Amino acid sequence: MFKELDPILHTPLRLAIVSLLISVKEAEFTFIKEKTNATAGNLSVQISKLKEAGYIDVVKQFRDNYPQTICKITPEGVRAFETYVKNLQSYLNAGN
Amino acid sequence: MSSAESLMLIESMINKAKNQFSEDGHLYLLWGWVVFICSLGQYIGMRFLNIQSSAYIWLLTILAVIYMVFYLVRNKKQRRVVTYTDEVIGATWIAFSIGLFLTGFILGQVLGAKFYTVLNPIYLTIYGIPTFVSGVVLKFRPLQTGAAVCWGLAVLSTFIPVTEHLLLIAVAMLVAWILPGYLLKRRYKNQSVN
Repeated sequence: MFKELDPILHTPLRLAIVSLLISVKEAEFTFIKEKTNATAGNLSVQISKLKEAGYIDVVKQFRDNYPQTICKITPEGVRAFETYVKNLQSYLNAGN
Repeated sequence: MSSAESLMLIESMINKAKNQFSEDGHLYLLWGWVVFICSLGQYIGMRFLNIQSSAYIWLLTILAVIYMVFYLVRNKKQRRVVTYTDEVIGATWIAFSIGLFLTGFILGQVLGAKFYTVLNPIYLTIYGIPTFVSGVVLKFRPLQTGAAVCWGLAVLSTFIPVTEHLLLIAVAMLVAWILPGYLLKRRYKNQSVN
């Protein structure tokens, strides 16, 4: 019996953001933008959705008078990612 | 998005984060050169020029500490990503600095003027610890080799006169911090270009 893949994570950009954040302690918006090759607008929207889901924490602050957005994965985000990967594996195993 | 595509995306993003080196070797070079100059300066002053106060050259380390504080504050502001590797290495070097200070203090308290006979062998041993941990965490063999050299020199120091110990410190700096520092700098620059 296949479990449904988490719709919050099952989109390319949101999955890319979470995969990146799971590997680091925290990352700034510009870093995520550079690594995902996303546009600033699209990235902002997807980060907001992940934040609403409780998967990431977003801290907005000022650095040398410039706004800075720092993102960090939450324990709930880690759990959701692990479940997503586990479910993904069951799909792949069934295909073999 | 298919399951295989999802997995490939996850793998590629994890690899992008994994290949992020924030270590540019700057502090290895700073401390490597400062300790190298101080140890060699004191050695030459004592051995060849007969300057009794040559140990004062170590006051240079105060300037290095001030510079390092400014550098770290600026670096923290400019940093766009913090990896778990950064955190482990940072904690290791903080523990090393505290350990180094406490060792010097305890040896001075317990041994008095004789502290000098064991100070450098023990410091060589301590230098090897953060160097080795950083080498393992960064998967950077020159640091691991440097640490092994520090420990080898610590053993060697027990067989040679105390007056020559400072030379071993200078050699340790060249091998454990200065050379790996330049190699880390090169690796960091290559990453920025790619």
